[in-house]
Amino acid sequence: MGITRRELLIGSAAVAAGISVSAPFFRPRYRIDRRPRRSRVAILRLEDYSRPMDELLLRGLRLFPIKVQGKAVLLKPNLVDYIPGNAINTHQRLVVAAAEAFRRLGARKVLVGEGAGHQRDTRLVLFESSYERELALASLPFVDLNRDELLRRPLAASYTDLDYLWLPRTLLESDFIVSLPKVKAHHWSGVTLSMKNMFGIVPGQKYGWPKNILHWKGIHRSVLDICATVSIHFVIADGVMAMEGDGPLNGSPRPLRTLVLADDPVAADATCARLMGFDPDRIPHIHEASRFLGNSSPALIDQAGEVLCRPDVPFQVVPEFEHIRAR
Amino acid sequence: MNIETTRSEICRILRERQLSSGGWSALTLSSQTALEPTVYAMVALGPGHKNEYQRALRCLLRCQNRNGSWPSFIGDDAEGAWTTALVLIALADHPGEVRSRRQGFRWLLQAAGKESSWFWRWKFRTTDRHVRFDSRKFGWPWQPDTNSWVVPTAFAILALHHLPRSWALEHSEIRCQRGIEMLLDRVCPGGGWNAGNSVVYGRALAPHPDDTAVALLALKNRADESAVRRSLAWLEDYTSTISSPWSLAWSALALAAHSRCVGRLLSALAEHVRPIDIEDNATLGVLALALDFERSLPLLITS
Repeated sequence: MGITRRELLIGSAAVAAGISVSAPFFRPRYRIDRRPRRSRVAILRLEDYSRPMDELLLRGLRLFPIKVQGKAVLLKPNLVDYIPGNAINTHQRLVVAAAEAFRRLGARKVLVGEGAGHQRDTRLVLFESSYERELALASLPFVDLNRDELLRRPLAASYTDLDYLWLPRTLLESDFIVSLPKVKAHHWSGVTLSMKNMFGIVPGQKYGWPKNILHWKGIHRSVLDICATVSIHFVIADGVMAMEGDGPLNGSPRPLRTLVLADDPVAADATCARLMGFDPDRIPHIHEASRFLGNSSPALIDQAGEVLCRPDVPFQVVPEFEHIRAR
Repeated sequence: MNIETTRSEICRILRERQLSSGGWSALTLSSQTALEPTVYAMVALGPGHKNEYQRALRCLLRCQNRNGSWPSFIGDDAEGAWTTALVLIALADHPGEVRSRRQGFRWLLQAAGKESSWFWRWKFRTTDRHVRFDSRKFGWPWQPDTNSWVVPTAFAILALHHLPRSWALEHSEIRCQRGIEMLLDRVCPGGGWNAGNSVVYGRALAPHPDDTAVALLALKNRADESAVRRSLAWLEDYTSTISSPWSLAWSALALAAHSRCVGRLLSALAEHVRPIDIEDNATLGVLALALDFERSLPLLITS
């Protein structure tokens, strides 16, 4: 199909105008500063999901001064869709192990909540990905965040012009939110880690499947607004079998054999990015989040567990994100 | 349980779960009236359950936005949502509600995917080409100012089939036609539909049974299209591998609409499902519609 000369001229002019208006892409637009003085990250080695992980995770959590006694803990995995053989979702056994660990640390209640971004049939994704069986065996309740009761919440930053979002009551009433992302390259945002994982709290019944408004408002900008508004209290990132290339669905599995635990989502994501062979400062939402949501600089991160090693070969990405690979 | 017993049990549960607003919540843990489950439950119960049906009808009429649209839940922003098409389907049996319906159809006809504007069409044809689709073929979004997607487009087409011809609202036929073209354009290479991205970065994405079924309902009159035939074959095959009530119920409705035999599928559903364990009221409603497809299909699809 051809493009008319008129379309080309007018379109070019419109793009030029748009670029000039949005030139300072990320002017500071936050009203909070949640950066801790120092952040803590633990890198744990886990060969594969068949290995026992309960004790490993509990030992890992005890490296942090977290207090969950008497609290309602919400575990937010990355549960997108199911394609056999693709490392799309946070592994179900890791979610169950995390729940068990938080229970042992005294949590009053542990729930799993997610609002899948593409699939309207939540139960089908739960079943096909084996979540349904594993959660039932562990007596772990699941809340479909796409269909939960919604409350209007003003945004604590204004990188988008959304002003507010409707968010699930279960999420807002939780005392301690744990983001459990799958470590993946992402064809629209470079990476999807603990902060991007929070797209799943945005309810489909209001915003649709996929949550297209967040794409229109800018993925990086939306991540910043969401994470400014809803605090991630802890991160357990699943990098045992990660994904490179054309994520979040069609990339290739890439074993990192690693879990990343952190008390700061920015530190977690920066560390994961480094483990993937990326420069976190070249990933807009991580870079900007380090100005008000957490720390990305290694100098401000206390590292525990394994040594952070950059891979010999960085993760594959789609051509638009070649520039995020560390040099 | 057999089909009739299961359907009766679902209707009993739906009656019990009806909220004081007259509507239903999406999940039992919530008391917020959501429009999608309300429409399915109301149509599933039917006028035979006079009291519940009338309360649901009044609930829907009461929560219409000033601009003619409906929200996705009571308390939602007033800009309008994809649920408008669903409510118009539910109101098809109420020709007396002329004002509400006319306003609703007017809103629906002005709502369009963002790619319908020349600028975004231009962008998708030139600089943003990672998702394979023809931006000239647009449908309806989930919410204003976003792209067209398969499910809201299919529901809008189903709703427009109920638009009285005598109302002569502008662009109704061309919008329907564009929507159908959009669905056919977005079909997955092996048949079936997902949310609406069939090929991204040159890679085919997998179809979903529920999205496929809703699209097939909207394409009931296009059974001769190869995309429809491929998708029916995919859906028939896929339903034999899954047990999720939501997807199976939508699949049964779509397959029945295309004159496929669904007796075994419905018997299996009725036998295996435990309605009381289903906390999602939209699923319960669609299940009841599927188990009573001979009555409910003519309400959903009209040519």
